[in-house]
Amino acid sequence: MEDLNIKIKEIFRNFSNDPGNLIPILQKVQKELGYISLPAIEEISCFLKLTESEIYGVASFYSQFRFNPRGRHSITVCLGTACHVRGGSILMEAFERDLEIKTGECTLDKRFDLDGVACLGCCALAPVVKIDNDIYGNMSVIKLKETLEPYE
Amino acid sequence: MKVTIDNQEIYVKEGITILDAAQEHNIYIPHLCSHLELSPYGGCRLCIIEVEGMKGYPTACTTKVEDKMVIRTHTKTLQQMRREILQLILSEHPSACLICDEQEECSSFQQTIRKVGATTGCRWCPKDGDCELQKVVDYLEIDKITFPVYYRQLPIENHEPFYDRDYNLCIYCARCVRICEEHRKSSVISLRQRGRFSTIGPAFNMSHIDAGCEFCGACVSVCPTGALSEKGRKWGGIPDSYNASICPLCDLNCDIQVLMKKGKVIGTLPPGDPHQSGGELCVKGRFCLTHIINSPDRLKEPEYLFDEGIGIVSWDEAVKQAGKMLKDVNGKRVAVYLSPNLTLEEILAAKLFFKDIINTSNITSSILNSNLISYISLSEESISLKEIEKSDCIISVFLNGNYNYAPLTLSIKQKAEKGTPYFQIGWIKDTTSRYAYQQIIPFPGREKTFFNKIAQSIENADNSSPEIKELVKKIKISSNPIFILGPDIMGLTEADGILKIIKKIITLTGSKIFLTNPYSNLIGLLSLIDTKSNEEINELISQKKIDLLYIIGDNPFQKRPPVNSIICQSPFPAPDYLNADLALPSAMWGEISGSFADIKGNIKKFKAVTNPPGKAIQNNEIFDRINKEIGKKDIKFTYKGISKLIPKKLEMRFPFVKRKPLKAKISPPNTSFPLLLIQEKNPHIFYNISLSNNIRDMREIVTEDAIIMNPTDALKMEIQNGDSIFVKSDIYEKIYPIIVRKIIPQNFLLLITSSRTFDFNPNPCPVHIRRNNV
Repeated sequence: MEDLNIKIKEIFRNFSNDPGNLIPILQKVQKELGYISLPAIEEISCFLKLTESEIYGVASFYSQFRFNPRGRHSITVCLGTACHVRGGSILMEAFERDLEIKTGECTLDKRFDLDGVACLGCCALAPVVKIDNDIYGNMSVIKLKETLEPYE
Repeated sequence: MKVTIDNQEIYVKEGITILDAAQEHNIYIPHLCSHLELSPYGGCRLCIIEVEGMKGYPTACTTKVEDKMVIRTHTKTLQQMRREILQLILSEHPSACLICDEQEECSSFQQTIRKVGATTGCRWCPKDGDCELQKVVDYLEIDKITFPVYYRQLPIENHEPFYDRDYNLCIYCARCVRICEEHRKSSVISLRQRGRFSTIGPAFNMSHIDAGCEFCGACVSVCPTGALSEKGRKWGGIPDSYNASICPLCDLNCDIQVLMKKGKVIGTLPPGDPHQSGGELCVKGRFCLTHIINSPDRLKEPEYLFDEGIGIVSWDEAVKQAGKMLKDVNGKRVAVYLSPNLTLEEILAAKLFFKDIINTSNITSSILNSNLISYISLSEESISLKEIEKSDCIISVFLNGNYNYAPLTLSIKQKAEKGTPYFQIGWIKDTTSRYAYQQIIPFPGREKTFFNKIAQSIENADNSSPEIKELVKKIKISSNPIFILGPDIMGLTEADGILKIIKKIITLTGSKIFLTNPYSNLIGLLSLIDTKSNEEINELISQKKIDLLYIIGDNPFQKRPPVNSIICQSPFPAPDYLNADLALPSAMWGEISGSFADIKGNIKKFKAVTNPPGKAIQNNEIFDRINKEIGKKDIKFTYKGISKLIPKKLEMRFPFVKRKPLKAKISPPNTSFPLLLIQEKNPHIFYNISLSNNIRDMREIVTEDAIIMNPTDALKMEIQNGDSIFVKSDIYEKIYPIIVRKIIPQNFLLLITSSRTFDFNPNPCPVHIRRNNV
């Protein structure tokens, strides 16, 4: 808690309290802390004199901002056209069911976080799942468990 | 400026939008997101028009008129495009009813008498018949929706007080978001996410209470659909009439309109077009009045305390008993308590009745204690609400604007937004805090010293804290500084001393002052009658010099005082512990015509809109009947007779008070008592009841006898919302439930009490707390 306050105060030092600085501040907070938390929004709210709802309204509009902490490993499921045709959304559902989280969230043990992406650029391998920096092509629901196993 | 709309030449002002120009000349252009009190938005796209020389189809609400413009609003193409757009809107809005083949026959089949429940007609939208979307559908004659229908399956949000939210009916016109931001300056809700995932609400699914919602109902008023609906009249339908009145729940006496249906009050709204006015009311004027006047707890018949217990009696019997009690007693041994919610006419009738007929001068009110008198005597320099507009520096002192004084907090916020420095002195974070140039929290337990330092700093610049220096600097450079005082100051043990210093500061700086008080007609009470202070009457009672107590709409005691008999006259039952010998039901606001006085002594009138419940009658009529029974003088107490006697301009006279030296020692928190407990009397009182106690929804936002704690403190001590805790000062301890809310800073606790006296002394009081594990 105190740690967060110090980090955020440090970020504010580079900005004036003009509401126009909201997005650069949010970007910086995300870069430093990994995600935008409620206490962080409260601090920004005091600094820029905007309400928490206004800030959340702006932040949630952009897909670049996330509101949940990252896990030790990040799972990215491709939901692009090719992957969609070959069952990307079914894979996503399977991940959600298996990890008991929703898109954008992080598991309770902080092991995985789950996100969707529009295209990873390797449509020949569809459906594609990316875990950290490893690409898994031709994925299927059956392969799901063994794929996750090496990541602790 | 000349423009042509649909071949009709019209002259309009410069700078207005095409939509406004058309509306001024009764040309209807369909629209859903545009609103009188809001800036143009261009969200619904229904007001598209054709303008000669302009490319495409601009929206009328965002395009300004230009000289010699030729505008067409109803061409075939436009209507066809509007139909397509409206169908897109309707594809996400449950609309079976709007395009149903049986629509016209529906109302005649809706009510059927059968032995089993059967659905005849779908009646599930609370805005049915009053919905702007319905009107536009009728206008564009939509009979089928060609797009696939998509139901959003959002849960209905009905767990918060005063209004329900069903965002499945929402059309995302963002009127609610905009009125909250632009008009009310609160920004409690915003559009979250984007595209088809958009929802409306506070950050992170926080509750509206935590997000700082004032429950002013502006969003409910402007919602064009049934997405937002008032809990109180959700299925009430369309009102029969709208009657102008004023709100009796604080001294600002805001203008309101009362919605009536079949002779009953079903709602209250700010003045103006009911669909177009966000207004400036607070939660009390917008939602609570209806609950109070229709309260099932109203006293409806006279009650008499027989030897066997309380029984209902007829008015004749009740008047006979009252007459007997009053005849038997010496006038000097009668004490009278009047509520500060009584109208001028009622107060004057009471004065005539008790001074001339009963011959008593022991008239007081439960609130007339020495602190209130020092507070209200500052009103000589007081200004009216409108004059705040002229100020160039605003300082609020212990003003708790949460759920209170909406027009005042609004004008503070408007001024501060335009750049007027606004200083907030006090502990509580309210709706104005965000706009404060600085919120100054006096050093805990050293409030008097704090104000003393300000005074010293004004007299000769010295080495006070930087906050005070900044404050004094800003006051000195401004030409018209205003101090706004909140009634919380009266609850402080050192109130008298602090108020004296504030008076000194005001004289030193030439500032103006604005006093708020939660009583609708305290000024009228002090102007019409020579009152005595509450302390003086209490002393008489304890010396057994009083035989009969006559209490009119007031609630001065915690237990039955040592007197022979008590008569209570109020719209609400007397509390059980009082054991009143006679309880007479009287009419209240809405059921009587009358007038209130404001801080400058100006009189504001209002009219009756409905009849009192049961056998309740007006206070004036009760005096009349009892007077006839006693048969002393031939005076008429009726409204007509009395209203002529009220002076045009009122001036206050204050009761004499003897000041006792302070017994309690004020001390700052220390290691064994590290937290500072602030006690505040519940300001939401009407006659002898508290709104928090009487209205369930009000209880959720202003909870009596519970400790409010900062979330950071709660986290540190591992205390959760709803836990019960021991609060201990050096001389007293008590168990309270906890509410975790951000309105109070760290290391402070706030207690809103239902009683007249505080449990912990002094106020504020250093305490320590621990979890109650039993």
